[in-house]
Amino acid sequence: MDKAQRRVVVTGLGLITPIGSTKDDYWRAVTNGVSGVRELTRFDTSAFRTKIAATVEDFQPEDFIEPKKIRRMDRFARMAVAATAMALEDSGLELTDEVKRGTGVILGSGGGGIISHEDAAEALFTRGHRHVDTLAVALVMPNAGSSHICMEFGFQGISYCLSTACASGTHAIGESYQKIKHGYADIMVTGGAEAPISVVHFTAWDKLRAMSTQNDVPEKAIKPFSKNRDGLVLGEGAGILVLESLEHARRRSARVYGEIIGYGSSSDAYHLTFPNLDQEVAAIRMAVSDAGIGPDEIDYINAHGTATPANDKVETQSIKAVFGEKASSIPISSTKSMIGHPLGAAGAIELITCLLAFENSFIPPTINYEVEDPECDLDYVPNSGRSSAVETAMSSSFGFGGTNAVLIARRLEEAGN
Amino acid sequence: MNRRVVITGMGVVAPAGIGKEAFWDSISGGISAVRSIEGFDASAYRTRIAAQVRDFDPSAYLTPQKIYATDRFSQFALVATAEAMSESGIIVDEQNRKRVGVIWGSSEAGTVTKEEGYRAFFTEGPKKVDSMTLPRAMGVAAASNLSIEYGAAGVNYTITNTCSTGAVAIGEAYRLIKHGYADVIITGASEAPITPGMLCGWCKLRVLSTRNDEPETAVRPFSKDRDGPVLGEGCGALILETLEGAVSRSAPVYAEIVGYCSNSDAYHLTFPDVQGETEVMEGALADGGISAGEVDYINAHGTASHANDKGETEAIKNAFGEHARGIPVSSTKSMIGHLLGAAGAVEIITTVLAVKNQFLPPTANYQVPDPECDLDYVPNKGREHRIGVAMSNSFGFGGANAAMLLREFT
Repeated sequence: MDKAQRRVVVTGLGLITPIGSTKDDYWRAVTNGVSGVRELTRFDTSAFRTKIAATVEDFQPEDFIEPKKIRRMDRFARMAVAATAMALEDSGLELTDEVKRGTGVILGSGGGGIISHEDAAEALFTRGHRHVDTLAVALVMPNAGSSHICMEFGFQGISYCLSTACASGTHAIGESYQKIKHGYADIMVTGGAEAPISVVHFTAWDKLRAMSTQNDVPEKAIKPFSKNRDGLVLGEGAGILVLESLEHARRRSARVYGEIIGYGSSSDAYHLTFPNLDQEVAAIRMAVSDAGIGPDEIDYINAHGTATPANDKVETQSIKAVFGEKASSIPISSTKSMIGHPLGAAGAIELITCLLAFENSFIPPTINYEVEDPECDLDYVPNSGRSSAVETAMSSSFGFGGTNAVLIARRLEEAGN
Repeated sequence: MNRRVVITGMGVVAPAGIGKEAFWDSISGGISAVRSIEGFDASAYRTRIAAQVRDFDPSAYLTPQKIYATDRFSQFALVATAEAMSESGIIVDEQNRKRVGVIWGSSEAGTVTKEEGYRAFFTEGPKKVDSMTLPRAMGVAAASNLSIEYGAAGVNYTITNTCSTGAVAIGEAYRLIKHGYADVIITGASEAPITPGMLCGWCKLRVLSTRNDEPETAVRPFSKDRDGPVLGEGCGALILETLEGAVSRSAPVYAEIVGYCSNSDAYHLTFPDVQGETEVMEGALADGGISAGEVDYINAHGTASHANDKGETEAIKNAFGEHARGIPVSSTKSMIGHLLGAAGAVEIITTVLAVKNQFLPPTANYQVPDPECDLDYVPNKGREHRIGVAMSNSFGFGGANAAMLLREFT
């Protein structure tokens, strides 16, 4: 196996989000500042502080998956498979036997089959064990997402599920990038999927008091970097990317969205739910160093930007610590202001947002920015997006449990370089 | 930059014993830890036996605050890792902490916590759900607690891949050190899946043994009368580091990791595939530059399910050809059950202990020869054996396979 370091590019994108479940619909919404946060009607929210979420309303699994297979998949796995179908089609990759044999899958998911787990528990605790679905174990297991992708498309390479809570998608892409870089695969299908909006899981989040309680105007609830921010809103969805070695992509004349040039990860070793400045800085520095670029080369940051008081303040400090005087001139936006927080899928959707920013030379906004916060004093692209060439972008994820992951992507110069 | 990776510390919490010494005494002696289930009423289920860690008292190891903040799977992780860290003698300080990572594995994470949350919600209402449910239950909980406990500030993530979880976590940790992304990694996997809901789910799949009246002899890998695994629980923790680092601090070295491969069957959610298993073993041999004739012992996945043991036997024959018949193969699940995500980690530790002690742990409860399983399974009694290189296999639900090669360090 050739372990020489190889360049890694993105050749296909697929996503399912609360504001659009095709690449084009998503991009239209995210550039126009559309919010996907709504009143939550899937279950009774009367006992909860928070009564809103960013739900996906237009996802039809039967558009992508055979009916008999749909029953064997939790919502998160259906979204993973559907987004993969879109990403593969977008990539134009022909699924020959050789491609299938070598292609690996690393999928990020914080919770796996949360809805199926809850269905099984509801049956067990209210109606008795005879009512539990015979496939419950296989529906619930977090690697069902990566396994179903492998089975649906015949991929026989590396396959695993990676879980780092809110940073899962970013870690999954980073690890996939390393697999291609070091020659363990030519093609990796990667990203994240999460379907966490079910009543007991929501109860547990409600108890943590990390979610916004601005229930009256749902679309304005998430206010990243704004002084009146009061927390995140749960989201759901999937983001899938097809990564290839540059050589493989060139050989088949594939369209390239961008090159992944840097990945850094670190652990806070500090607190389960509170961010840590030093280790966010360490992850960003590691990514910048891996990319072999100067800090002044980053011209867009897609922030973790959860709209919790602590995250946005510490993230702002970390950007300043790494980028120094340049920090105030880098546009930073939080896509979570529109799509909520889809946990393990967040990082993947956010990196896709960076890649689409290259293609469209446009930076999407942070919506619901209302009140300046002296502790968050950078350029957050408030409320309206702007046209701007983007050459090199960074996407950050800082998860519960203190796991940090940062990716840097770059627009690829024309063939021949 | 390809660096050599060695194991300098190991810790075990297993049904056969807490601590490596007690564990190895049981395993090498062929003693089964499978018993009737304690702790909840299992009378309604097809399978009422399991391999539980019966004498685990977290208060003997952890502070009340830590116990309050953690699920059983994280408690196992903290206790096993304490043994591994103490043995390796590694000190994590300001100088090296950013180069010390944690790559952990768990298939089900905080099962006990999740189930208590569901029970409270569905029988008493949302107000009764504990506010610590999410931090205890989340997949990253064990890895985060380990990182906090030791100040390990490097790469940190959790693999979840059903029955191959532990092997993939250790394999990925090996690659991260090999390619220079970390110098030391705390790795392994933990699982605490013996709860009413998990037992219910596994019973529904009809893959567990139903020999409820003879728990100790229930799990019979490779024996013709086998009827499945039983659930187990526990943790295996390992300290991996560069050979150079281990030598420079004169650390004890258990073994070197010399080959690893993982792949996917792309075949069936719960049914094994001989080709995928064959290829993963061949891949590990190729990765390590090890020939089939050099392998002296295989610690099998050996679940005692009819399909697994037949398929694994066939795959070993495919991958090792004429050498297959001369290689002892044993399944330690015969004694400790199936630890799901933790199985691969505890089995890799078992494999390393076999290398270290030059002793083959047996496959217990081997009773009736099966013409479809015709290798040397070290039946019922362990034996001394020259082991230079050994392999550990893990094949998971969802078709996720992993194989690892370990070499004696001299």
